[in-house]
Amino acid sequence: PQNSFTSEQKQSMNILEVACKRLPLPIDSQRCRHLGPGAPYQTPDYYPSSAPKCNTMEFFQRLSTETLFFIFYFLQGTKAQYFAAKALKTKSWRFHTMFMMWFQRHEEPKTITDDFEQGTYVYFDFEKWTQRKKEGFTFEYKYLEDKDLN
Amino acid sequence: RAPGSGPIGMMYSGITQAREFDDPPGLYEKTEFLLREWVTMYHSPKAGKDSTNAFSLFVHQMNLQGILKTDELITRFFRLSTEMCVDLSYRVLMDQNLKSPTVIRAKCFHTLDAYVRLIALLVKHSGDNNNTVTKVNLLNKVLGIVTGVLLQDQELRGVEFQQLPYHRIFIMLFLELSAPEAVLEAINPQILTAFCNTLYYLRPQKAPGFAYAWLELVSHRVFLGRVLALSPAQKGWTMYAQLLVSLFKFLAPFLRNVELAAPIQLLYKGTLRVLLVLLHDFPEFLCDYHYGFCDVIAPNCIQMRNLILSAFPRNMRLPDPFTPNLKVDLLPEITQAPRILANFNNLIQPPSFKKDLDSYIKTRAPVTFLSELRTSLQVSNEPGMRYNIPLINALVLYVGTQAIQYIQNKGNTPNMSTITHSSHMDIFQNLAVDSDTEGRYLFLNAIANQLRYPNSHTHYFSCTLLYLFAEANTEAIQEQITRVLLERLIVNRPHPWGLLITFIELIKNQNFKFWNHEFVRCAPEIEKLFESVARSCMHPKPS
Repeated sequence: PQNSFTSEQKQSMNILEVACKRLPLPIDSQRCRHLGPGAPYQTPDYYPSSAPKCNTMEFFQRLSTETLFFIFYFLQGTKAQYFAAKALKTKSWRFHTMFMMWFQRHEEPKTITDDFEQGTYVYFDFEKWTQRKKEGFTFEYKYLEDKDLN
Repeated sequence: RAPGSGPIGMMYSGITQAREFDDPPGLYEKTEFLLREWVTMYHSPKAGKDSTNAFSLFVHQMNLQGILKTDELITRFFRLSTEMCVDLSYRVLMDQNLKSPTVIRAKCFHTLDAYVRLIALLVKHSGDNNNTVTKVNLLNKVLGIVTGVLLQDQELRGVEFQQLPYHRIFIMLFLELSAPEAVLEAINPQILTAFCNTLYYLRPQKAPGFAYAWLELVSHRVFLGRVLALSPAQKGWTMYAQLLVSLFKFLAPFLRNVELAAPIQLLYKGTLRVLLVLLHDFPEFLCDYHYGFCDVIAPNCIQMRNLILSAFPRNMRLPDPFTPNLKVDLLPEITQAPRILANFNNLIQPPSFKKDLDSYIKTRAPVTFLSELRTSLQVSNEPGMRYNIPLINALVLYVGTQAIQYIQNKGNTPNMSTITHSSHMDIFQNLAVDSDTEGRYLFLNAIANQLRYPNSHTHYFSCTLLYLFAEANTEAIQEQITRVLLERLIVNRPHPWGLLITFIELIKNQNFKFWNHEFVRCAPEIEKLFESVARSCMHPKPS
């Protein structure tokens, strides 16, 4: 068949021609992340382009604590962040909603009341990106993030 | 001023009002001030979860500025805000200093995402909590305004048009309104309808500059999941089918040409991917709407059509077509009719033709009906566009279903002997014998479009095609039947089950004397091809 386009079709083609030089990027339909993956980059073929089966709880359980902290702070509002928080909880880390940091008991608390507990804790300082120890710290339960993540 | 009321009326009036510029003095400045304020508040740490704190402060400011006084002012506020967001995006996109696409996007999204949150909050909080009408109306109005601004922007800017800001507004707004909240869940069906209507207004034929973003929206996993899996089945499915039909219609004239331009190739590839997802996740959807899709897909798009025709209900197990001595007529599914969600009876036009057709089917007279059939289907004398394809498709399916009913009413099931010597077969044989090459090709394609998973249509039309082959008075007819089957099989997978069954029967069953025909040996490569197909049919290899 011969090319017998109507003028409307020719016009559409001209517009498409330009539009396909300004294609949407994957980030256009994703929520804003202030950090994390940016523009696509051409990688060599031997470089893996996807990880297999990483969307399961088992996978996140296997990650190191520091990796989980990275995911928690840098992939906000994603499914990965949710999995990371869940995995941290199973490793007995608890989130402090005022300091926005994760705490873990270093030893049995010296005092436990209905409102708080006090003792030595290890916490993850996201600004210095390191684990630190704090003696005589009071963890008030009103700052304990205790929603059931299911 | 607004034509009609209700959601559709709101959308219409939004589209028209996007072209009204006689704003009261000072409104532009007020809107600009408010939008700036909102963007700052949205990004402030004090905004609260989902910007709730910021929003109550902002509504107070809107009140102070008098924006919320009348519906008209609110409408104008949305129009101006949309235009400002779009203009800002254009300035960022044209900025020569910004090279990185991520930086450009971060700058655009800063404002666009804030604006989207504002729309979502205003929709959620408009009227009382239980007043769904106000919320739905406002949503339709805003979508109408964005649509109107887009169409006008494309008209004015032409090839300078950018899809980015609109794409972002639509997808983010859809995601915001898909959040798991009681207020939103209560109006979920209306939200889906509003977005489907918007996308239909902006179909590629109307907004070619938006086509790629449009396809992204239509195939977005959340959108697709909501429309096809979560919405009350029939409504969401019908709307989604309509969107796909509009895409196929747009592509058809371009795909009919053999030389595909790069932009069309890209859109075609995207369409195939959507179809693959649908075939994998929603095969019943493709089954139900196959007729309407095949009606608009260009005849030469073999693979695209095969994707649709290969769909079958998930609870069905298809016997391997290569099984030796497979008895198709003994399959339990073969007596059940498939669901066709298209009113093909009504597609047989004009009514006088339908009347003559019904009368011929009933009385097998007058013979002149058959001789005039070709003229009734022909629309022009231009090669390649001589026939009314939708009419041929409707005629073939209608006559076929009538035949199945007729045979079943007599207490029989369709097979090679019960389908013969009837008014229905008269019509088919006449179309095979009396048509020119083009007409016959379209007619045989209409039959082949029914060769799908095991069902009564597949079985009837499989028998019909084989019967037409056996009873053909010229080799040309047999060659064309072979061509139609073969060309659908030599493309890459998937291949519809009924198509394989029919072709295997043709080359295996000695009665058809397939191998004695000259066209089988017309060229060495064709001969080799047949032999290789035959080998794979006779000695099945484990797949």
